Amino acid sequence: MTTTMRSEFPRVPTNGRALPAFLIVGWRWISRNPAVAITPILLPFIFLYFLSLISPPSALPLEIVGAMMFTMQNIGSWVLGDSAYWRIEHSLQDMFVASPLSRVRYLFGIAFSNLIAMLPALAILMVLLAWAGAREGTPLTLGAFFVLVASLAVLWVLFSSVGIGISSRIRTQREIWPVGNLTFTILGMLTPLYYPLSALPPLWQDAARFLPATYAALLVQGALGITPASPAQMVLYAVLLVAAATVGLVVMLRLYRWGEA
Amino acid sequence: MRTRDPPVNTRAFRGLAAFLWTEVLVQAHEELAMAASMMVQSVLLVFVWILAPSLLGVAFVGAILYSMFTMGQRVLNEAAYVRIDHKANDLYLAGPMSPEAYFVGMATGILVVYVAPVVLLGVIATAVVHLTWAQGTLLFALSATVWVFSASVGYIFSTFFRDNRAIWAYSSLFFNVFGVLPPVFYPFHLWPAALAPIALLMPPSAAAALVQASLGITQLSSGETLLAVAGLVVETVALFLFAIYWARRTVREK
Repeated sequence: MTTTMRSEFPRVPTNGRALPAFLIVGWRWISRNPAVAITPILLPFIFLYFLSLISPPSALPLEIVGAMMFTMQNIGSWVLGDSAYWRIEHSLQDMFVASPLSRVRYLFGIAFSNLIAMLPALAILMVLLAWAGAREGTPLTLGAFFVLVASLAVLWVLFSSVGIGISSRIRTQREIWPVGNLTFTILGMLTPLYYPLSALPPLWQDAARFLPATYAALLVQGALGITPASPAQMVLYAVLLVAAATVGLVVMLRLYRWGEA
Repeated sequence: MRTRDPPVNTRAFRGLAAFLWTEVLVQAHEELAMAASMMVQSVLLVFVWILAPSLLGVAFVGAILYSMFTMGQRVLNEAAYVRIDHKANDLYLAGPMSPEAYFVGMATGILVVYVAPVVLLGVIATAVVHLTWAQGTLLFALSATVWVFSASVGYIFSTFFRDNRAIWAYSSLFFNVFGVLPPVFYPFHLWPAALAPIALLMPPSAAAALVQASLGITQLSSGETLLAVAGLVVETVALFLFAIYWARRTVREK
């Protein structure tokens, strides 16, 4: 398509600034709707508050890491909502399909615009993690910080692609909320984000091992020293996280309808 | 445009049964939404089951009350969707159906369909908590009161939205802040004592505190019990009457 565009319309720019444009979309959205900025910040904290009441204080660092991963998972739900809403309500996707923007850039654009809304929550949770980790003897070292950021980045890409892949199959606005809610809540419940994997019943543990977020959780918990893991185990978790995320991405990109809808 | 009277003069609650049945038929096709409406409760029940199984009884009672509370979110979504996306409320309200029948019919139709998973929760709760008839009746009455309150809130809020995309963020914030943060899923005594009056003035946590007190899980003073009962009744009646007034008023506006 880009080659055709260049030959037919030589003056039309085919290399735009997709990410900055979507950054502005994300910023304008939250600046016009304050609740959109507040909701993703508050939701993980509401769960954290509830968990802090029913679990021992020593579990707080693990729960904060869970809240950060839950936040990344929420981005997937928001990506699903945005892309489905723009396509169904505004027929905006047709315009993007007709433009030089590729579907992968579109995916990253929407994922990026939704990340903007989640950044304040992630920043606050990071500060909380440093504080709670120091208090509970699981400090946030530089190495653990990088492992955490890398794991969150993998989940961001993965859940965003899950969101956009599923959204491209949604037909009516009525389906957006229940489909997004069911998909991401079930994925979140199955993975041990807010509790150690060992706390789950054996069958559940086996099911959780098929999900990428489980390895992200194990990797970060190991890096922080919350759940003991040897260097070899850490490497294994990292490899499994990347492998499972790659499989998930490939499946979602196959599910993702771009121009043929 | 503003007119002095509704488009057609109607008697109060005219068309209620017809619209209620319409809404039942519409909602009965929303299996996904029905399953999704139980998600937060399920997550919190799983948290309690894994981390504090001794609180499972309290959490089940909370899940019932929370489920009735979040039916207001369904009313909000449905009323906004019908108005913004389909513009069907103009059609409905241009006819002989009264505005209050539209609101109450929609809320009751949603209740009829969405109450099924709540009944299932009730059956499990009865087995876990061993409710007596009196406690079961109290839970039923308080659940019904919470539903009237939340349906009224949901309908009133729905009239403020101009854009479907913004609904989720605001409704999720409202229903989670009032339904999960206060002591609905956990014992009332774990809530900060200084903030107890605030929790007793929020219908979901007031109802939960009253049920917990009847189960002997929580001790409420007579003043606290009075505050919870009075707050629940006054807020619910006032809001329901306001929702009827608001339904009549907003039908005159374009």
